Amino acid sequence: MSQQKVIMINADQCCGCRVCEMACSLYQEKECSPSLSRIRVVRNEAVGDSFPIGCALCTKAVCVEVCPTGANQIDPATGTGVIIEEKCVGCRACVRACPFGAAGISYKTGKAYKCNLCNGDPQCVLHCPTNCLEYAPVELTVRHRRRALADDVIAKLKGE
Amino acid sequence: MYGWRGKRIRFDLTKGKWEVEETPYEYRRKWLGGRGYNSEVLYNEVGPDVDPFSPNNLAMLGVGPLSGTFGPSTGRVTVTAKSPLTGGFGDSNMGGHWGAELKFAGYEQIILKGKAPKPSYIWIDDDKIEIRDASHIWGKFPRDADRIIKEELGDKDIHIVTIGPAGENLVRFACTFNDCYRAAGRTGHGAVIGSKNIKAIAVRGTGGVKIADPEKFYQITSDWRKTMRTDPMAQGLYAYGSLVLIMPCNYEMGWFPWKNLKYGYHPDARNISGEVWAKKHLKGKEGCFSCAIVCGIHSEIRDGKYAGEYTGGPEYEACVPTGPRVGIIDSNECLHGAVLTNNYGMDAIEAGASISWAMECWEKGYLTAKDTGGLELNWGDAEVVDKLLRMMAYREGFGDILAEGPTIAAKKLGVGEDCLVSTRGMSLPGDDPRGLGFGYGLSFAVGTRGGCDHLRSLCCLELSGYLYPGLNEKIVGTEACSKPLVTDGKAKMVWWEEHHKAFVDCLQVCCFNTHWSYGCRNEHLIPMLNAVTGLDFTEEECLTIGERIYNLERAYWSRQLSGKNDDVVPRRFTHEPMPENPAASSGKVLPIDEMLPDYYKLRQYEPETGFPGDKRLRELGLAYVAEELKPYREKYIAREKQKKAKKKDKE
Repeated sequence: MSQQKVIMINADQCCGCRVCEMACSLYQEKECSPSLSRIRVVRNEAVGDSFPIGCALCTKAVCVEVCPTGANQIDPATGTGVIIEEKCVGCRACVRACPFGAAGISYKTGKAYKCNLCNGDPQCVLHCPTNCLEYAPVELTVRHRRRALADDVIAKLKGE
Repeated sequence: MYGWRGKRIRFDLTKGKWEVEETPYEYRRKWLGGRGYNSEVLYNEVGPDVDPFSPNNLAMLGVGPLSGTFGPSTGRVTVTAKSPLTGGFGDSNMGGHWGAELKFAGYEQIILKGKAPKPSYIWIDDDKIEIRDASHIWGKFPRDADRIIKEELGDKDIHIVTIGPAGENLVRFACTFNDCYRAAGRTGHGAVIGSKNIKAIAVRGTGGVKIADPEKFYQITSDWRKTMRTDPMAQGLYAYGSLVLIMPCNYEMGWFPWKNLKYGYHPDARNISGEVWAKKHLKGKEGCFSCAIVCGIHSEIRDGKYAGEYTGGPEYEACVPTGPRVGIIDSNECLHGAVLTNNYGMDAIEAGASISWAMECWEKGYLTAKDTGGLELNWGDAEVVDKLLRMMAYREGFGDILAEGPTIAAKKLGVGEDCLVSTRGMSLPGDDPRGLGFGYGLSFAVGTRGGCDHLRSLCCLELSGYLYPGLNEKIVGTEACSKPLVTDGKAKMVWWEEHHKAFVDCLQVCCFNTHWSYGCRNEHLIPMLNAVTGLDFTEEECLTIGERIYNLERAYWSRQLSGKNDDVVPRRFTHEPMPENPAASSGKVLPIDEMLPDYYKLRQYEPETGFPGDKRLRELGLAYVAEELKPYREKYIAREKQKKAKKKDKE
């Protein structure tokens, strides 16, 4: 488990450019459309804040649980999302249940879509110009974050 | 259909009606999109007799085939109208996300005609269109209007074009915004939209852009994006926004626009440099749609009198006009000016130029307290700048005359012609060609929207010598022009860049990719266009499209009898050597006459009138324009003869 990689978010780095949405929809759906992107950016233009939201790769994924046909799955080998298109009936159960708003129905096919991490090379991460998105092992990344925070606090306590 | 969505909306605001029109293949191939569409419609439908504030003027917003794709910064929009500032052809473009959203909704262009009976805003929800009451947001700042409309429509993910109070009050240089702070600054179309009683255009698009060859498009764009990570200009822009310019502009080249561009240098310019800004004011980065550079910033004031104020930006050209141009060098005060121009919805450049013109007039004694209603217009007085910006936006007191822009103000008051830094009625930005480069100077003289025009040719090739060696050899045929302060090859450089820029503006991708940095060149851009559209554009065809648009815009001026007589730069640059400074510009003047004749030849303009050449117009598929110009040529020649005779009489 310590090696499982997910798309980590450096929260203060998102500039809201939405390159991730374009890279995703073009790579996955062969069309440029935010509506087909597995990752979406929430922007607040007035104050210049943005934040990307995509599939969290839930351990107990509600989209899988609620799927009535078994189309919505997690690949046990890689831990990433899979939609068996032949089984999907476009009922939106996954869309309605996902607490992150990260599932969707393609307007092209009428079937559900979900992030599959581009077979290990997520294109949203590849093209993120600010390095807000990072494809990295969860455990290791949070260790780094903890350490950076601790170093910072300790330095302040010592008056450095 | 790939790339384009192939539709545009024509609003008749007087009747409260609209029509969705298809753009046929031949049309798309000839005019491409964005600026091309807008210029074509303006030329054909808004003649020389139409008053810019009349309902018969058009305000248009256009996007192109690459808009809303994975291409380079594809959120841009060109806004076009007959300019109330210059009375001639006017357009400018803005970044943000609205352009992409319009495309996702299914359109490339919006055309506004007529005048709504009461303050209104437009709501485009994919194929559902509505004109709604805006009386409750009339008078609001763009960012507040943006918030209220989003709350009202119940969706904060939509994108909205807005105008500010200045647009409503018909300030002749009011601008158009989207996403709160992204301004299409120049030529005053914000006031044209205001004159039509339109406050905002909100868009929600849930569709997409079909790509003819997605794998190829993805490959080309991915490869190009990787190169942008190491592009030297892109890196500078990413780190500091366009304020990265301040240090080289002032300390090396000497084109810092100090006091109405009289001087090119100030010892404390680093106060507002990107490097200092990043520590003192930078609140965060904000990227336009699909951007590979991310020059956008948000800034805040943390101490002093204006503490707590914030705004999107400013970029270089929005920071210097209400700063150094009016003699202010304190960064808090510069930023405060930018906050105000954003809030009121005014073109920062023209607003700063109005004030700096008045300040120079005051210094020379042309204006006194009697004219200004008691205000003393001393250089560097931030209080006065604050007051004047408000007075202009709401057309109060002396602000009412400054809201006409300096060129009209000088005419009305009958003073200060010699203090104008403008061509064709529009003020120059904070780019002094005596230091920035002679190519820039040439483009100021000939630009098709008047004085701006560093953005008509965006003649960065002359600055690119050391960053992109070999590029000029390829494009202009010589590396001799790779330095700013020489005249060699500049005519050809400007000529080429003007075509290229027009082409880029049709695609509505950001010129910081294609001109400022040369990271995205035609060898990337044209294959991208072909992969997206499935067509077979060549570089030659694309540049011809650019040339066609350029000539059409020039013909727009010709039809208003503006030709060779207006191809001049302000006296300041040709007759006043740059005051002594430690930078390269010291003592320089702009040798415009060494470049203009070559430029005319390349453009095939008529030597006598400066009208587009009849033969070239026909070759460009503009025979109808060539026919139309004939009587205007006669009129122009007759008028010039008369002028000469009058001059002789006086002598």
